[in-house]
Amino acid sequence: MQTKQPKGLGQPRRPGELVFNLLMVLGSLYLLWSAYGISGFEALSAPGAVPMVTTAVMLLCTGLIFLETLRKSKITAEKLERDILPMPVIVTILAITGYALALKPLGFLPTSFLFLTGLIRYLAKYSLARSALLALLMVAGIYLLFRIVFTVLMPPGIVPEAEVIAWVKSLFVARGN
Amino acid sequence: MDVINALLIPILDLKLLGLIGLGTFAGIYVGAIPGLSVTMAVSILISFTFSWAVYPAIALMIGIYMGGVYGGSRTAILLNIPGAPSAIATAMDGFPMAKKGLAGEAIGIVTVVSFLGGFIGILALAIFAPLLADFAISFQPRDYMMLAVLGILLVGSLSEGSLVKGIFAGALGIAIGAVGMDPLTYTERFTFGTSGLRSGVSFVAVMIGMFGISEGLMQLHTVNTAAVKQKISSIIPSWSQVRKHIPLGMQTSSIGTVIGALPGTGGDIAALIAYDHATRVTKNPEVPFGQGAIEGLVAPETANNAAVGGAFIPMLTLGIPGDAVTAIMIGALFIHGLNPGPMLMVDQPNMFWFIVSALALANCFMLIFGLTGIRVFVKIVELPRAVLLPAILLLSIVGAYAVNNSVNDVYWMLGFGVFGYFMKLYGYPLGPVILGVILSRLLDDNWRRAIISDQESLWMLLKGTLASPLSLVLFVSVILIFVSKTPLWGMIFRKRTA
Repeated sequence: MQTKQPKGLGQPRRPGELVFNLLMVLGSLYLLWSAYGISGFEALSAPGAVPMVTTAVMLLCTGLIFLETLRKSKITAEKLERDILPMPVIVTILAITGYALALKPLGFLPTSFLFLTGLIRYLAKYSLARSALLALLMVAGIYLLFRIVFTVLMPPGIVPEAEVIAWVKSLFVARGN
Repeated sequence: MDVINALLIPILDLKLLGLIGLGTFAGIYVGAIPGLSVTMAVSILISFTFSWAVYPAIALMIGIYMGGVYGGSRTAILLNIPGAPSAIATAMDGFPMAKKGLAGEAIGIVTVVSFLGGFIGILALAIFAPLLADFAISFQPRDYMMLAVLGILLVGSLSEGSLVKGIFAGALGIAIGAVGMDPLTYTERFTFGTSGLRSGVSFVAVMIGMFGISEGLMQLHTVNTAAVKQKISSIIPSWSQVRKHIPLGMQTSSIGTVIGALPGTGGDIAALIAYDHATRVTKNPEVPFGQGAIEGLVAPETANNAAVGGAFIPMLTLGIPGDAVTAIMIGALFIHGLNPGPMLMVDQPNMFWFIVSALALANCFMLIFGLTGIRVFVKIVELPRAVLLPAILLLSIVGAYAVNNSVNDVYWMLGFGVFGYFMKLYGYPLGPVILGVILSRLLDDNWRRAIISDQESLWMLLKGTLASPLSLVLFVSVILIFVSKTPLWGMIFRKRTA
């Protein structure tokens, strides 16, 4: 059952909101301390002046937000694991982290293929073959567009990309002759 | 003569013309697909085009921007899901029209009036920006500082959530922008003893994280929502229908241009104000507002497209972004070695006229692409989100990596993405963060210049502010934004009306 909201307050508190806002207060406090460490109260034009004012404003704001959150009643209908951090969000964050870790050693093409296959299979619930085929098409499209149009260099990793490109080019040269 | 030459650059260069067309085409689709925002697309694009020459990079981004603002209306009409915040008002009457089987008619009229609005905004940019730039040369450092504060505050106060959260977000952006070596004294700021932070946090990683990853993560909550199918036939509107709505379109275009030109306000606010204006001035609509009134489409769509040209005015003349997309475009100009502000018009007037011309061309492409290819469009919008989202996330990762070929930037992007995701969940606006990052340097430099020239005295600074009419207006505006959001304002207002 939903708790009655005290008069004059905004929306009720969502799961995890209090913890998040507390972390914001602590983070702002730490940043204010760091800003003070830049040049202290040396001068109004010192390199730490704007960072100090900025972080002080952050601390003031987060303090007010935290106090307001404390006064709010909790939404009992919402759950952290369903409405704030559902499994697809956690899996996607882990997948991006995994992508970043594998990008250099494995290379752009295999990492992207695995990333897309895994996520499409998980999110769209397609068969592995269908997910892999879609991933292959997408990786091919993205690679051609960004390698050729945008000339972006991505880590080759285990794929001998330079050799493959040279081989494809040699085919065209041979045809030309 | 120079002006004409600069205006002709994107018209005569087929590559630039093609990029503007491609950008507009892509922008319409990006803007139309819920979950893909123009801000997201432009921020990802910067990372891929940073190694390009400045003209092609800007041409592509302008196309995406112009097309994206218009594209947002498509899904607002077809699915009642605005593809972009600027299309929120469009859904109010667009979707009821679609339910009556008039989706084609709605899309047709929206396309034509968007062109009209876009044209008026661009015209205003061409006329007023040079005048404002001449005036802006006389701005003092304190004026720039207050303009930056004003922009961040306006975004904070007008976006969703409370003003306190908006101010926090803006301050956070300024703090992020300050990370690294201080350019004046080479003192380390917020580096925490890490050498990797001395060059600052990659602006592109922050942007892609905040707008790409966080939005992608939010979309995962509704990833399995089925796409709604619509059948559409002809969409080209009759001339009599267009002519009938031109007077209202002219009024709301002017509103859009002015709102767009205010630092920190963009097409979404312009569209809502214009919609409100339409409900006041249209005495006898054929269909009531909210049930499919064409006036309810004309007003927001002319205004949000006019706001594009308007948003470029403060961006190019003062270096202050009009909205989140222009904030990102300022970042793009910085990356390409340009310095948006009054001196841009003096040092590189060609760049200004090139932008005006590119916007005008993008507006024409928008009309052409908007009135054609509707069947392909409907198919693409129906693509399942569960397939589309992984591809968008991959593009975001590649974009963050590509700027410095650094995996660290991917981690930064992910960190800011997850942080932005929680900020969104708990009602913090993200626009002020990016505005803060962009304006951090401007604010910091001008504060220090102002206070040094006033001999480190706050009293002298205040006296100087009160003595200058411009500074005084800016100062009062900053104070008014604060006061307007406090209970004090409500008390004064109630007393007056009582």
